[in-house]
Amino acid sequence: MAMLMRAEPPATEPALHLVDPGPAAKATNAVKLYGDADTSVRALDGVDVEFQTGRFTAIMGPSGSGKSTLLHCLAGLDSLTSGSISIGSTILGTLRERQLTRLRRDRIGFIFQAFNLLPTLTAAENITLPLALAGRKPDQAWFDKVVDVVGLRQRLHHRPAELSGGQQQRVAAARALVSRPEIILADEPTGNLDSKAGGELLAFMRRAVDGFGQTIVMVTHDPVAASYADRIVFLADGKVVDEMFEPTAERAIDHMKQLGG
Amino acid sequence: MKRLLRGALHQGVRLFGTALAVALAVTLVSGTFILTDTVDGAFRRASADAGGASDLIIRSTAHFAAQGNSLPEREPVPESLVARVAAIPGVKSAWAAIQGYAELIDKQGKAIQAKGLPTVGSSVTPDVALASGRPPAGPDEIAIDIETARQHGLVLGDKIKVLFSGTTQEFTIGGLLQAAGDVVASTKAIFDSVTAQRVLGVQGQVDAIPVKAEPGLSPEELRTRINAALPDEYEAVTTKQVAAESAESWTKSVAFLPTALLLFAAVALLVGAFIICNTFSILVGQRARELALLRSLGASRAQLTASVLCEAIAVGVVGSLAGVLAGFGAARGLLALFGAMGYELPATGAVFLPRTAVVAVIVGVAVTVLAAVPPARRATKAEPVGVLRGTAGARTGSAARPRLIVGTGLGAAGLATLLTGVLGGGSRPIVAVGLGAAGLLAGLFVLLPLVAQPAAFLLGSPLVRFMGEPGFLGRENAMRSPRRTASTAAALMIGIGLIGVVAILAASVKESASRTVDDSLRADFVLTPTGLGGAVSGVPPVVVDRLRKTPALATVSEIRGGQWGLDGRTQTLLAVDPRTVTAMHEVDAGSAAAVARLDDSGVIVRDTVAERYGWAVGDKVPMTFAKTGTRQMKLQGVFSSTAVRTDFVITLGAYKANYAQIFALEVDVALAPGVTPAAGRAAIEEALADYPVVKVMDHAEVLAAADDQVDRLLVPVTALLALSVLIALLGIANTLALSISERTREVGLLRALGMARTQLRSMIRSEAAIIAGLGGALGVVVALFFGWALVRSMGTLGVTELVFPFGQLAGLALLATVAGVLAAILPARKAASLEVLKAISSDR
Repeated sequence: MAMLMRAEPPATEPALHLVDPGPAAKATNAVKLYGDADTSVRALDGVDVEFQTGRFTAIMGPSGSGKSTLLHCLAGLDSLTSGSISIGSTILGTLRERQLTRLRRDRIGFIFQAFNLLPTLTAAENITLPLALAGRKPDQAWFDKVVDVVGLRQRLHHRPAELSGGQQQRVAAARALVSRPEIILADEPTGNLDSKAGGELLAFMRRAVDGFGQTIVMVTHDPVAASYADRIVFLADGKVVDEMFEPTAERAIDHMKQLGG
Repeated sequence: MKRLLRGALHQGVRLFGTALAVALAVTLVSGTFILTDTVDGAFRRASADAGGASDLIIRSTAHFAAQGNSLPEREPVPESLVARVAAIPGVKSAWAAIQGYAELIDKQGKAIQAKGLPTVGSSVTPDVALASGRPPAGPDEIAIDIETARQHGLVLGDKIKVLFSGTTQEFTIGGLLQAAGDVVASTKAIFDSVTAQRVLGVQGQVDAIPVKAEPGLSPEELRTRINAALPDEYEAVTTKQVAAESAESWTKSVAFLPTALLLFAAVALLVGAFIICNTFSILVGQRARELALLRSLGASRAQLTASVLCEAIAVGVVGSLAGVLAGFGAARGLLALFGAMGYELPATGAVFLPRTAVVAVIVGVAVTVLAAVPPARRATKAEPVGVLRGTAGARTGSAARPRLIVGTGLGAAGLATLLTGVLGGGSRPIVAVGLGAAGLLAGLFVLLPLVAQPAAFLLGSPLVRFMGEPGFLGRENAMRSPRRTASTAAALMIGIGLIGVVAILAASVKESASRTVDDSLRADFVLTPTGLGGAVSGVPPVVVDRLRKTPALATVSEIRGGQWGLDGRTQTLLAVDPRTVTAMHEVDAGSAAAVARLDDSGVIVRDTVAERYGWAVGDKVPMTFAKTGTRQMKLQGVFSSTAVRTDFVITLGAYKANYAQIFALEVDVALAPGVTPAAGRAAIEEALADYPVVKVMDHAEVLAAADDQVDRLLVPVTALLALSVLIALLGIANTLALSISERTREVGLLRALGMARTQLRSMIRSEAAIIAGLGGALGVVVALFFGWALVRSMGTLGVTELVFPFGQLAGLALLATVAGVLAAILPARKAASLEVLKAISSDR
């Protein structure tokens, strides 16, 4: 994986704020309309939310509550109709396509529900893919640490087809961590996993927050998964309707029932 | 079935590239037929028009019909016969017809040779059609065709110099002939009967006697009557038949054209088949789940295969029909190509026969369906449940062991056959080489998927080095499906390989010619006709006579050429002066001894030919000449020299006895002692001053002329092969586009993870560069080997030197790679325009 040409400088925001962290990401009066004026659907209907640095936040809500849309907008994969979203001090709405791409590469880590990995690449190559795209070399000590934490040392040279679903998701998590992004966005990362594999992945994400000060925002509909977070933000009909700190699975379930989810 | 077909319709857009490949391949098929039919039609129409004034033609009997000969290669007929024929009851009128060489010289003193063809001079006919002026009358009046007059700025009353085989004379233009819509646009000159006899022929002799029948009497009936009245050495034939004969002879002389063109079409179709096979593999691969679902719902395997083949038929029909239409354009293009080659073909209105469409569509559909059968079978063979559950692997392998066995077997058999050809076993080395090459290629096709992965790895390493991650990802993509990469590259390999072989052959032929000139040509100057040499023109005898009278020349050695028949098959021969020819063209001692033994009663033959016919020195060779019939010529020796450009050689004396032709193909001269080359050339040019139909060449000019001839062939052949390369490039674009749509989700993921559009494009271009580079590199390897084999098997044809134009070959591979990258522009653009969010949530 030594392919280093056209090295672009990493985007400038420092990865960790040691003093007065402030929010890692913020949505202000975020509105997202889909469709024409007449038939429009308000996927986001004035969302105001902040995601604290070094914290693990879960977003819950019934189907159609706008939680995936919010995550996509945070990632710069989708744009708001009105309002604003910022990562650190960068307001996404002002960025051009090329800058958004660079932002995703250098400052955001992704874990999708499925199909996280390129089938042609080994686990190790998948983990370092965003760095390679940036023309950067991975920090070997950090890489080793991440790989050991997710327990993939023996699987580094396997291709995705040779890995279990849980292992594939852990590769995705390692990839999200290895470039030290400001924020990791996870979209139902345990959605396709059995409870044991899901538990392992969530435990790892928890450790990344506690041990490395990583910021994580995770969309999930699973209260058990959400209980690993420091805080749950509840969305319904495109609005933030509630939040819960130090959640447990039982409290999350009760709350979701109230929302009719 | 309806439901199955809807799946096919859905793929319509994706099949566009395939249909285009079919169309391009079929274009050449249909173009060939349209061209052939157009040429054929023109010949036929011209010969049908040829009748006009006469119903019958009386001529001396010929024993052998030479090909492509517009002048009758026959004994003349005594003029006294005209009166005798006219007296036969039923003959309304009979007149003398005389034809011969009459070269018009333009105002600048240059010979008027439209497309290299000489002027045909003839006697005036009763039905002569004039645009203006009057029929020629008197010893110094001429009528020429209006087209020539227009092109050369000649008007009624102008003086024009005419060069005959024996004399030159100035005439006054008294009439302009109407454009006759001739097959081959030759220049025409017409004289009155007496003048024609004087300048074109022999006093008291005519070439033929056209006859008009009394009204109410059929030509056939009159023919019987005349033939009964005349001695056997003369024959009466209907004008229609003469026209048909001439059309047939022309058709025969260009008969190699459709065959050669269809060979190129076959190459294009083969390349197309690869593309089609590839596309269908990808398409049914993408639909594997759908097909498996249909199977598990009770559709039979045969039904599914049929649905895929229906799709192939639809694509084949659409592509073929487009190809048939494009054939009109192709026919035009081919005409231009042959024009560039020096073959002027008549083209008055494209002739389109239903046969063209039928054959082209059948061929196009058959190739498409045959190419779609393997993927169709493969797709429907899979166990339904396995596919439904299965996860698409990162890389698909292919059954390696059977592939290895079959491929190696085919390759080894091909190699063995090819080597027998190269090593000189067998009577037809080129056929062995061709068959062997086909076997080797087939083996290579089978083996290619096995080596595609490592080859792509190696070829891609510079890209990984210089392009970084996009290059790396592109290489991974090129390696993920070896079969797909292999067949896409193989399609390109065919075209590049053949162009490479042609380049090697051309370089070798040039080098051989140069070696022959160096080793063998001892003449100081070689004189050849400016136009096309052959039966109807060449170096006129008067020029040879003048040269003989030039003191600066010590030796003047004439070489003539002609056709003759052996067991009904047309052969060629050269006629030489045995006393001087070996001093002009040095040959090996054995061949020189054979020439020395040659006299007017005999023939000498190439050793390999004598062996094939089982002739020994002293045997009689039955040679049939058009003019004199079959003569038993004594085999007086065999030769092996490749400097001799034919297999049979007789003396000029024997030639004069058996041929009516009087022109020389070539005249070689040696300077008298002490004469400098410059002085010699000046002397020759002075002798030729009045005869601008002959050019003088020293050794360098002879070589340049030979090179020029090779180049004139090289261009159209390469252009025809380039069509195959074009189809292969289309295949690369198509395969990439399909691969990208197959990997939409991957593209989305990469973009989400921060791959820039430019990086995405360069990833796709890298994949294209690797595939095209593989095709180009393999093509060059194939070309080197086949070029070697072909040239080595052509030793007896005079190709004695083997030259590899490495620069050209490397350039060819590079060009293929660059073209491949260009072919990737559209697919890359398409990939870059995908919306990230849509792509990543797509179902593939």
